[in-house]
Amino acid sequence: MPLALNQSMQPPPVEPIAGFINRKDCFAEIAQLATLSTPERPLAVIWIALDRFKQVNESFGHRGGDAVIAQLSQRLRDRTGTRGTWCRMAGDEFVCLVSTYNFDQIQQLAADLLHEIEIPLPIGGLLLHPSASLGIAILEESERPSLCLQRADRAMNTSKRAGGGRIITSGSEPMPGRLGVLLARHELELESKLHLALNHGGLNLHYQPCVDTDGQIVSVEALMRCPAHHLSPGEFIPIAEKTGLIIRLGEWSLLEGARFAKHLSVTGQPTVVSINVSRAQFVTANFSQTLHAALLCADVDPELIELELTESLFMDNSKLVQANLRAALDTGVKIAIDDFGTGYSCLATLKDITASKLKLDRAFVVALPQDRRAFAVVKAIAQLGNDLGMRVVAEGVENQQQLDTLRDAGVHAIQGYFYARPMPENELLAWLQNRRKQHD
Amino acid sequence: MTETLPPSSVEAQLESSLQKIGIPPRPVILDKINAEMHKDEPDFNQLARIIAADVALSASLINITNSPYFGFRGRVNSPREALMMLGLNVASKAIAGIVMRKAFPKSPQLERFWDASARIARLSGWLAQRVTKSTLRADDAYTFGLFRDCGIPILLSRHPGYFDILTEANHEASRSFTTVEETTLPTNHAVVGYMLAQSWWLPDETILSIRHHHDVAILDTPSIPPTLHSRYLIAVSQLAEYLLQQHSGLSFTQEWGKLGPACLRLLNLTEDDVQELLTEATPIIEAED
Repeated sequence: MPLALNQSMQPPPVEPIAGFINRKDCFAEIAQLATLSTPERPLAVIWIALDRFKQVNESFGHRGGDAVIAQLSQRLRDRTGTRGTWCRMAGDEFVCLVSTYNFDQIQQLAADLLHEIEIPLPIGGLLLHPSASLGIAILEESERPSLCLQRADRAMNTSKRAGGGRIITSGSEPMPGRLGVLLARHELELESKLHLALNHGGLNLHYQPCVDTDGQIVSVEALMRCPAHHLSPGEFIPIAEKTGLIIRLGEWSLLEGARFAKHLSVTGQPTVVSINVSRAQFVTANFSQTLHAALLCADVDPELIELELTESLFMDNSKLVQANLRAALDTGVKIAIDDFGTGYSCLATLKDITASKLKLDRAFVVALPQDRRAFAVVKAIAQLGNDLGMRVVAEGVENQQQLDTLRDAGVHAIQGYFYARPMPENELLAWLQNRRKQHD
Repeated sequence: MTETLPPSSVEAQLESSLQKIGIPPRPVILDKINAEMHKDEPDFNQLARIIAADVALSASLINITNSPYFGFRGRVNSPREALMMLGLNVASKAIAGIVMRKAFPKSPQLERFWDASARIARLSGWLAQRVTKSTLRADDAYTFGLFRDCGIPILLSRHPGYFDILTEANHEASRSFTTVEETTLPTNHAVVGYMLAQSWWLPDETILSIRHHHDVAILDTPSIPPTLHSRYLIAVSQLAEYLLQQHSGLSFTQEWGKLGPACLRLLNLTEDDVQELLTEATPIIEAED
């Protein structure tokens, strides 16, 4: 039926609400406001769509739905006062046009509006918890106002697809990265730099010594760096984890670390090299093959390699994790429990773990020496580690007081700036030589 | 893997010659080229000087540039001309291939292995232009051919029984090559090669193709990684190997029987097409021999 077709192309008619202009007038209004837009006070479109509103209509009927709309629209309008122009674009969609705010104020306004919507609302004897998806678009220089409106709509839809209850600004919508994972714009940039680094040799390993309380070197921990793009580990590791690139990075550092262990060994200063293995890398089906390949390629004594695994992995009873743990131990490498004490520590499981080292989470060290309760916990863990045949190591040690306190608590070894910061290979080699001279 | 089976009499010699090396580290010259490539205005003269300092490298690079497989017209006579002709990107891959061979100790058997790899690499470069409608660049196919089996010399050097495993895998008609390796080894040559390629900072696609180059499921399942580009790399190198075996009349592997049908499906070729390609490739193969 042609008539029905035509009708379906139009937005469904909506009841007018006081203080809200309709969709058609919105286009005229935005064109008018666009003429006042300046770079400091740009015209902004905030598109709001209520989440799951269909269910409200289904549960409480259209009258109930209308009552909810009436109350929420009132809240929204009250929040902006005279500074915003409100339009009702569809039954459960609103647009707010503002031209007197700077960028930060616009973001804040959107957050306030979402907050207003999320205040629970009594209806039919129940308490409804409304939510909404918000999209913001800021009019760009010489952009057509209708395009800006479309961008706000798209941003709102992105927010809705991401589960709603959030604000997305047009231009910062997540996009699929090279590996298909949705990333925000700055994350895409980081991912791209990381790929470049992986393909053009932009990564290297720095090594931080771990020293026992007698001053003997226990091991050196390999830490990834990305000097080519000036990325700090705090920037690139989370992106690598999010995109899965952490597996590639981990495999690369496994071989590089093993190779350095070989180098240390053939130059007469055999030292255990600790290499971090992420959960994502450890739970791949062929983890053990890559570990074997790295050991074989580096031609290194496996006893000179230590894998640092986070404690949650040891609590994972899946067949794959258990098989990979066994396979790793079978190669002869050492295992260390990393970041112990803040995750899912389960003392019952600890007794079954074949690890040679237990690394205390740095959160404990930061609290020392003042926090006596932290001291008590560290002391207990040191005792426990000792009884289970594990060396207990404290990370992030920065001063003599912390060192003394940790020694008192019975911790076996220390890693941190107090002894040495992470260093490139050459510096570490010099550091090791100097230290050896001092101790000879 | 073709024409690489060392007679057992020299097996021990090969092993001893390789025993002292770790995995070859990435050669410094590649870093120098890389650093120059990423400058806003790369200095070709400076790069040409670096390459010219190594006579064997210069000769090999000129040789590759003049190879009929790459299809460049005219002849180059110096490293500088080779760089101009190939472009820095292609040249750096070609150089990676040349120096890899040099990074391993010399032995007659390894020479045969590298010669076989080089033949597959060159024919892959030609095939890339001929059968993938330029989806695949000749230099990518060439580099992949060179590095595809680089895990094998490492395993030969590390594992005393690897020669026998290799022989068995080459004769295996149904199980995948790597499955045969894994019945005895805790790893396989594809993973070892992947680790080497990764530590040499080769491109993503090359690295992943090395890892999966015996995996028929990868060729047949478009929805799983790696990318189509990687699958083309694998298929083209398998086809190149097959054409070379057909040309020589010598077949050392069973790989085409296992992977061939999937390669042809991916490349959209029939058996007749393959025969035509063989006819077309024959003068090029013979010109190189």
